Amino acid sequence: MAVESQYITADVIEAMEFPDLSRRYAVRGVPKIVINETTEFVGALPEEQYLEQVKAAVETNGKNQ
Amino acid sequence: MALISDKDRDTIRTRFDESLTGHVQIIMFTERQSPIIIPGKEPCETCAQTQELLDEVASLSDKLTLTVHEMSSAKDEAEAHGIDRVPAFVFKGASRGQVRFFGIPSGYEFSALIADLIDVSNGTTDLSEETRKYLSELTEDVNIKVFTTPT
Repeated sequence: MAVESQYITADVIEAMEFPDLSRRYAVRGVPKIVINETTEFVGALPEEQYLEQVKAAVETNGKNQ
Repeated sequence: MALISDKDRDTIRTRFDESLTGHVQIIMFTERQSPIIIPGKEPCETCAQTQELLDEVASLSDKLTLTVHEMSSAKDEAEAHGIDRVPAFVFKGASRGQVRFFGIPSGYEFSALIADLIDVSNGTTDLSEETRKYLSELTEDVNIKVFTTPT
């Protein structure tokens, strides 16, 4: 997704190597995805559902501003 | 001994030959192994191996180059990429946004690394028309963190 938009930053994080981040984001299973600190889910989702999560995160962001 | 087996090297080299169109610079941030043990500061256990792995990957195509920065002497460069820990690396190519990797890319992460390199080289993805349309119309920052493990 980051390849397609200049506004997206994608971080791939090795959870075991950075226990501080795993703790902060309560990682108990992988892959765990956290979008904009607000939206999160565990497991690989089909593309459409993944996109829905991104949309939800962007909308939540908009409400907070 | 090489980290990537001969068989995998051949497979990846062929895939790169077929798929890479543009040049990609892999920019890595690392920490030299210090002979001095500093209390309270963990040594970077995977830095050397990550560098070796990226070096092997970069050697599989002349469209790839690896630049390695020592974190302590490249703080500005690291900050510009939002890198605050090591080992970490980013790709510079035809990508619009930024892809960052933190930690050694082994296991599942390794295939993600190869696939991402190809996408960044081409500036395109195999995402659906609908997804790409939405992404192209985005006007605010979105950060996606993906936590993985080596297995």
